[in-house]
Amino acid sequence: MAAPEVHHLFHAPIADHSFSADRKTLAIARDTTVELYGRVGNAFKLKDELKGHDKTVTSIDIAPNSGRIVSCSQDRNALVWEPTPQGYKPTLVLLRINRAATFVRWSPSETKFAVGSGDRLIAVCYFEEENDWWVSKHLKKPIRSTVTTLAWHPNSVLLAAGSTDAHARVFSSFIKGVDARPEPTAWGERLPFNTVCGEYMNNSAGWIHSVAFSPSGDALAFAAHDSSITVVYPNAPEQPPKAVVSINTQLLPFMSLIWNGEDEIIAAGYDCEAFRFRGGSEGWQLTGALEAKGRPGLGDQREESALNMFRQMDLKGKVKDDTQLKTVHQNTITTIRPYETSGPSVRQFSSSGVDGRVVIWTV
Amino acid sequence: MSIIREHTQATLSDAWRTINIDALQEDSSVNFDTATLHPPQPEISEGDARQIQSQVRQLLRGGDAEGALRGCLETPVYNGGELARETHLQTVIEVLQSIKASEMTPMLQRIYSSPGGSECLDVLMKYLYKGMAGSSSSSAGSAPRTPSRMTPQPTGFSQVGARPGAPAESTGAAMSVLLSWHEKVVEVAGLGCIGRVMTDWRRV
Repeated sequence: MAAPEVHHLFHAPIADHSFSADRKTLAIARDTTVELYGRVGNAFKLKDELKGHDKTVTSIDIAPNSGRIVSCSQDRNALVWEPTPQGYKPTLVLLRINRAATFVRWSPSETKFAVGSGDRLIAVCYFEEENDWWVSKHLKKPIRSTVTTLAWHPNSVLLAAGSTDAHARVFSSFIKGVDARPEPTAWGERLPFNTVCGEYMNNSAGWIHSVAFSPSGDALAFAAHDSSITVVYPNAPEQPPKAVVSINTQLLPFMSLIWNGEDEIIAAGYDCEAFRFRGGSEGWQLTGALEAKGRPGLGDQREESALNMFRQMDLKGKVKDDTQLKTVHQNTITTIRPYETSGPSVRQFSSSGVDGRVVIWTV
Repeated sequence: MSIIREHTQATLSDAWRTINIDALQEDSSVNFDTATLHPPQPEISEGDARQIQSQVRQLLRGGDAEGALRGCLETPVYNGGELARETHLQTVIEVLQSIKASEMTPMLQRIYSSPGGSECLDVLMKYLYKGMAGSSSSSAGSAPRTPSRMTPQPTGFSQVGARPGAPAESTGAAMSVLLSWHEKVVEVAGLGCIGRVMTDWRRV
């Protein structure tokens, strides 16, 4: 396995990160600004700062084809940043929420995006040509608490949401005039706006931190604060799912997960490293950490002389300097995203976390 | 100038922050019974809890400590009266106290690797924390007694709680049993187990 590519950008938490399609631009949510980094050789250099929010930016996403950036913040606003020759031009989106916006993602069709919020709703936003602005429709019905995470189905109509009421739900976000009528799937056939196609929770019911559809869209995985991962295989519309597989782990909770093909999930979180799960509808298993520990050059493997040992004992009261974690990330990983894919499988993925690092991993 | 000052004065006072705006919204969480979010749990009465207790004691007498432990962990009292909950806690602690320190880890590993074992250890963790909370909150209190001094009484547990000046050393002994079990459970089921106990809405 190739060594991970580590970019230590600054000493502050990264709320979210997103690469452009050509992977030359990296957008980072840092405090109240969106920072754009450009690739210069092997490093990323700060290129531009997008200022428009006046509270912490919670999430960002770059649309791969149009290059538009959407950001959302605790100031209850979302901004769409349009690339122009003069730089990025912000457009305010009418979200109509009165709590923080927590999470934003473009739909695969890039005609819509969804914003989760602390107002117990999801704003599905689309561009209205005649008025020349972004408007939103609210998905509200059974949500009982803050929406923490969202994921789009490949058909751009179904939307999965995880929230702090411990439920992962699948909604239809069909908007007339924007979406083409979707092909029927195992989740549902007729899908008017705000159809609840599924509502799932696991036994010990932790907050949901992350949701993801499998590449085919026929399975849904979610990670919760009870250190578990649950995978749901739907059967047919209006029927109980074919299988719900829940794996409780011995680890700390996962904050983010992605699918690699239909039979592998990569998840990372409070343990500061990524783990691999393998399985299918008959069962899933944790197969181990992605990171090879004890690589040469990791940490300080310098020779310990007796003098040094006693000096350390005298100065610090201990022999070993254990202020460094053995993992590449030195704090919680908050987001992982596919970086390079080939079809349904992920070749490389990127992770960012509270330690201000963005790391690109080879699977 | 004066308008500005008045305005700043008004905004500087943070009385408005104390308004509970959630109470004014009809679909907010405070106006909503969150218990309806979860599927209901079967109710276990005190009689059921006593029946489980006698079955578990029988297993213990027969020397099947692992079966006894599994038996009481598979039927946690999530929905039941205070008495049923206390009775079951007592059952679990009796079993824990009767298992030798050297047997703890292998037994936990066997339970963990069996189907549904992770869930069982989560339940065990819940009872460990409940036991610790009980024996520290009241000095006389719910200090679990050693099985040797167990005398079947119709009112059982609550009567002991009412007795003034229960021996402090038994509280300490019970706590050390709970602590050593806690250590062993974390070794086997990891920190995830503690996280699950904290997030779980099914309380014992």
